[in-house]
Amino acid sequence: MAAADSPSAALRRRDLCSRGIRLAGKMRSDVVDLLDAYVERQGLDASASVAAVEGVPAAAVERWDEQTGTQRLLENLAAYRAFRALLAQMLEEQREQLGEADTALGRALAAVLLQVSAFAYHLEELLRLESRGPPSEEGAGPPPAPHLGLFERKLRGLGVLRELAQWAVRSARDLRQLAKPTPGSGSAPSPAESP
Amino acid sequence: MFSEWKWVARGLYLLLNFCSLEVSGGLVQSCGHIIPESPVLTLGSNFTALCILNESCLDFGNIYANQIIWKIKNRVVPKEQYREINRTVSSVTFNDTSSLATPLTCNILADGQIEQNIYGITVTIGLPPEKPKNLSCIVHQVSKLTYPMTCTWNPGRHTFLDTHYRLKYRWPQENFPDCIPKDVNNSCTITDVQFFVNLEVWVEAANALGKAESDPLVLDPIEIVKPLSPHNLSVNSGILPTVLKLSWENRISAAVMKLKFNIRYRIVGDTNWMQVPPEDTASPRTSFSVQGLRPYTEYVFSIRCMKEDGVGYWSDWSEEKTGVTTEDKPSKGPPIWRVIDASCPPASWTVHLMWKPLKPFEANGVILQYEVTVRAKSSSSSPPEKYNVNTTNLTLKLPNGTYEVTVIAHNRVGASPPSVLLIPASNSKAPVKNVRTLPKDGKLWVEWTAPNSYVLKYVIEWCLVSNSSDCIIEWQNEPGSVQETYLKGGIKPFKCYLITVYPLYADGQGSGQSVKAYLQQARPSKGPTVQTKKVGKAEAVLTWNHLTVDEQNGFIRSYTIFYKTVDGNETAVTVDPSKTEYTLSSLTSDTLYTVRMMAYTDEGGRSGPDFTFTTQKFGKGEIEAIVVPVCLAFLLIVLLGVLFCFNKRDLIKKHIWPIVPDPSKSNIAQWSPQVPAKHNFSSKDQMYPEGSFTDVSVVEIEADDKKSFSEQDLKPFDLLKKEKSTSEGHSSGIGGSSCMSSPRQSVSDSDEGETTQNTSSTVQYSTVVLNGYRDQTPVQVFSRSESTQPLLDSEERSEDHTGGGDSTTQRQQYFKQNGGQDETNTDRPCFERTKQITSANEGDLVGFAQLQISGQNSQPLGLGLEKSTQEAALSDILHTSTEGQTVRPETVEGNPPSADEMPKSYLPQTVRQGGYMPQ
Repeated sequence: MAAADSPSAALRRRDLCSRGIRLAGKMRSDVVDLLDAYVERQGLDASASVAAVEGVPAAAVERWDEQTGTQRLLENLAAYRAFRALLAQMLEEQREQLGEADTALGRALAAVLLQVSAFAYHLEELLRLESRGPPSEEGAGPPPAPHLGLFERKLRGLGVLRELAQWAVRSARDLRQLAKPTPGSGSAPSPAESP
Repeated sequence: MFSEWKWVARGLYLLLNFCSLEVSGGLVQSCGHIIPESPVLTLGSNFTALCILNESCLDFGNIYANQIIWKIKNRVVPKEQYREINRTVSSVTFNDTSSLATPLTCNILADGQIEQNIYGITVTIGLPPEKPKNLSCIVHQVSKLTYPMTCTWNPGRHTFLDTHYRLKYRWPQENFPDCIPKDVNNSCTITDVQFFVNLEVWVEAANALGKAESDPLVLDPIEIVKPLSPHNLSVNSGILPTVLKLSWENRISAAVMKLKFNIRYRIVGDTNWMQVPPEDTASPRTSFSVQGLRPYTEYVFSIRCMKEDGVGYWSDWSEEKTGVTTEDKPSKGPPIWRVIDASCPPASWTVHLMWKPLKPFEANGVILQYEVTVRAKSSSSSPPEKYNVNTTNLTLKLPNGTYEVTVIAHNRVGASPPSVLLIPASNSKAPVKNVRTLPKDGKLWVEWTAPNSYVLKYVIEWCLVSNSSDCIIEWQNEPGSVQETYLKGGIKPFKCYLITVYPLYADGQGSGQSVKAYLQQARPSKGPTVQTKKVGKAEAVLTWNHLTVDEQNGFIRSYTIFYKTVDGNETAVTVDPSKTEYTLSSLTSDTLYTVRMMAYTDEGGRSGPDFTFTTQKFGKGEIEAIVVPVCLAFLLIVLLGVLFCFNKRDLIKKHIWPIVPDPSKSNIAQWSPQVPAKHNFSSKDQMYPEGSFTDVSVVEIEADDKKSFSEQDLKPFDLLKKEKSTSEGHSSGIGGSSCMSSPRQSVSDSDEGETTQNTSSTVQYSTVVLNGYRDQTPVQVFSRSESTQPLLDSEERSEDHTGGGDSTTQRQQYFKQNGGQDETNTDRPCFERTKQITSANEGDLVGFAQLQISGQNSQPLGLGLEKSTQEAALSDILHTSTEGQTVRPETVEGNPPSADEMPKSYLPQTVRQGGYMPQ
């Protein structure tokens, strides 16, 4: 889109990046807190190893510095759309499991879900500024949840939160990369700005 | 007014059973209805209602639309507002709904007379909501993860209708449930908001008349956060005595918000806060070292925070925490001054050194002691004397001279710089000039003109002047550059202060210049007590005492004396305050004046007690001018009288003190058979002591002129009568009669012819002294008279009568009586004769009673002779006297003279010697 080169678009992009970075930071902080609460409430071991959550792109990626901006945004958007669906599912399961008794955990989950949603909105806006609209959500969601037992669901929730925490870190790095003055998509970040 | 229009939408059916004409099955059918049904109308708009009649009623009751009457409550709507649309429909139109009320009814006149209600509706009037304005939001952090957002707005005018407000907010890609206010219409709180995403917020207001929305507010909630203040603030003293380190915890995550801070602090007890420069704390942190503090001082700290970029709101100030800096050595020496008492031995002084404790910010710690060094300037060789004291004064006795005194304060850390005071031999340097005071802002300012020389510093010395206490000196130092200061002490209003300014030079000090001052003046607490020192006829000298300093309450500017008479106007006189005496002049004499006195300060006066005095009737010297001449005149008159009496003493003597011949010197003494010298009566003085004579009378009784006896003449006889009570009667030996014998008879017996010749030519008679002197026994004296005067008529006539001589009838009668006595003397006792006399003349009883007593008691013959003689004489006297009071004999019986007391007399002697002895 032509708007990508206009000063207002650059300003808007910088603003989106800036707030996205901070949102990612807050999201990570909240997810870390939520992880502690979740482990405690669900009776899990914080050191338990969890298999990768199906449907969520891995935060760790090879040749991260070689990715273009759009690519970063697309990966992020896919991940957060998946997190949004997973967190909504977790919230629903948590409500079914604990009812309204554990409102604190439910509120924390809802808050993280909102932040994930907000971050996805940020990514969509950035993609619009990158001259391409966000991809359709059709088919982008996580695969239908397999029938899992309660413990598996708890472990899966633990895995979701851990992955989200990692994605929050990566997203901040991605947005910092995007926020650089030269919008070169292939330039590597300087060591100083690396997280 | 709007309240009248506030109609609650409550249904009110007024379906009345009018069409009773058509009743079927017991149900009542309405004959019409109104359109619209229960409308909600905008205030001020127009409104039209229709009343539609049922066709059935028309046919059955002959009711048509032209018979319809519209009413609001019970008030008939003017027919001008009606309109008959057709035969079954009538409309009413209101141009302004404010004139409407509930219910609005449609009525009809049945048969032209009876008004029947057809239908009624309720009308609700109100206003549509206004567009909410001034929407604003703030996010209050209530915990680390909770950030409720409260939005407020202005709902606009009152709508009189049930109006609902909703706070709506959304993300661009997501809507959120509305926030509905509870109990209020101008604010709502969203329980939790997410940051870093723009949120669109607006308010929607809706009621039956419409809906309105505020302008949307798009914001990132992170920009309107009011964070919680940092907590767990702690203060720690550092290594340096001027630094304190603060530490705290932030309650908002750095991931959410980066903070900047404000740190404020103050000294404990001080109300003014100081603030750490904001730029020093503009970055996120959890500790900060505050520098530039005073050593050994307790500070209070508080901190707040906000978003680092300044977007948002400051948090509240945190709780206050205190901390104390460490000690440092005193920053300056204590101010020092002295009082020199030179009244001791002439060659030395008593020097009272005094210094002020250092202020906390100067002491920088706890002062442990003061080191005082006294160094004589004159003899530099002598070592200085050092004193370590804990107090703030030191008294030294020093020889006259010049000394340099230094005082150093020590605390735990170290010593202060020395304070130096030069004690000079005399205050010979230039003093300050024009010392004056000025009360200002509750402080007493002192101003002066500096001397020409460079002044190191000034010492302001002052004390409270009072009668009740000594002048306790207070003082303060001021730098040499100033020429005014205020007294730094508890200066009280209405008290007199003596203020002295000393300039201190590098090499000595100038003499002090003093002034008296008040911080604030007031009326004197009492007035002067005035009294008079001297009061004259037209002036009075008033005196009074000055009011004491404690009573003055200010500078006495003047006295005013008020004086007045009881009913006169008050006169005021103003008197100079230095005087204690005043003379009031032009006063009215012999008048009561009331005087009082007022003393005035700048703030007013107060009156003393009233004093009254009365001016004198006479002026000074007036009495003397009157009394002295009167006295002189009196003396002159007395003197003249004395001179006159002296000149006329013979005449006076003649009248007052006639010369009575002294019988002792009379010639009859020569015929006394015995020389008078033989008895004790030779000297009149001996016989009659001075004053013993009560009277000496020469009585002439004229037989034919009884009335010639004046009272004056009779007085001696009155006395005689009285004195008879205490004296025996005596009679001369000549011409007297006796009870037992008569001299005449004796004479005639012896030598009648010679006797007659003697009696006719020169009659000798005796003076009879009757009474004594002052209760003394009267001395009976018979003195032979040498007088050649003829005998008293009575006696002479008695003689004559006795001898048969002729006389007047009265005389004859009188002497006949006597003669009768004489005749019966020989054979009658004296008592009887007296009794006869008594019967003859009771008025003359007095003398006779006495005689009677004498005769009764113990009168020998001779004595009886004497008595008879006296009786004869007295009887004559009494006979011619006026009727006297009857004196009862008993009254004189108390003093019967005894024979022993009988004085020696001439006759008794003769009697004792055997009777009368004719010469």
